[in-house]
Amino acid sequence: MGKNLIHGDHVSCSRVGGTMRRESARLRRHAQWLDEALGNLPLDPDTDANGELSAVIAASGQALRATAKDLDQAGAVLQRYATELAESHELGRRAELGVATAGLLLDRTRVIEPWGPASAQEAGQRRTKVPEVQARVDLATAHVGRSRGRLLREVLRLTESFSAHSRDAHSARRALPPPR
Amino acid sequence: MPAKHRLDPALLDVVPTPLDAVVAALTRSGVAALDASQELLAHYSDTGDAPTQRAVDTLIEHAADALRAITDSLADLSSELQTAHPQDVSVQAITEHG
Repeated sequence: MGKNLIHGDHVSCSRVGGTMRRESARLRRHAQWLDEALGNLPLDPDTDANGELSAVIAASGQALRATAKDLDQAGAVLQRYATELAESHELGRRAELGVATAGLLLDRTRVIEPWGPASAQEAGQRRTKVPEVQARVDLATAHVGRSRGRLLREVLRLTESFSAHSRDAHSARRALPPPR
Repeated sequence: MPAKHRLDPALLDVVPTPLDAVVAALTRSGVAALDASQELLAHYSDTGDAPTQRAVDTLIEHAADALRAITDSLADLSSELQTAHPQDVSVQAITEHG
C-alpha cells in the first residue's frame, strides 16, 4: 500500500502564516506611530520644505501599511490552507485505512487489486469494494486539489502586489526632494 | 532585533523635537521592516506539491524584497531629514544600514 496519499506539512504552513500575521501587526503599529509623529510636525510656511518631505514620508508610511495588509492576507491564506491540508490528511488517512481494510492497494491515487494467488470468492469480494474505496481516495485528493488551487490563485495575486510595493518603495526613494 | 539600526541611548535624555519623533519613527519602522523580512525568510512551509511550493517560496521572496525596499526608503528619508534640518534634530538616529 502506498503511504502518504496526501503530502505536505500543515504545521509548517500554519507557522509561516502566523509569522506573517504577527509581523504584519507589528508593521501596522509602526506605520501608525509614523503617522502620529508626522501629524505633529510643524510646517514651514515660507519654504514648505517640511511639507514636501512630509508628503514623501506619508507615502512611505502608506507603502508600509499596504505591505503589512498584504502580509496579513498572505498569512491568512496560508493558515486557511494549513487547516484544509490537515483535513485532507485526515481524509487521506481514512482512505488509506479503507484500502488496507479491503485488502486492496494504492498505486499513487488509483485503488488496485493485489497480485498473487487468491480464491475466486476472495478476488470477487475485493473487486466489489474497489469503487467505494476509490471514492474515498478521490474525496481526499479532490479536497486537497481544491485547496491548492485556491492557494495558488491567492499567492500569485499577492506576489504581484508585493512586487508593486517594491516598485513603489524604489520610486519613493527617487522622489526624495533634492538637498537644500 | 539586529543591532544595525538603533537610537543612541546616551542621547535619549535630550528633549525631543517633533522632527526627532519623525526620525525615530522612520528608524524604528525601518528596523521593523528589516526584521520582518528576515523573519519571513527564516521559516519554511511544506505545501506538499511542487507548483504551490514554488509559488509560496516566490511569494515569501517578494514579500521580503518589498520589506527591504521599504527599509531602504525609510532609511533614506531619515537621513534626508537629519541632513536637511540638522538644527531641528536633537536625537541623532544611528543607521548603519547600507
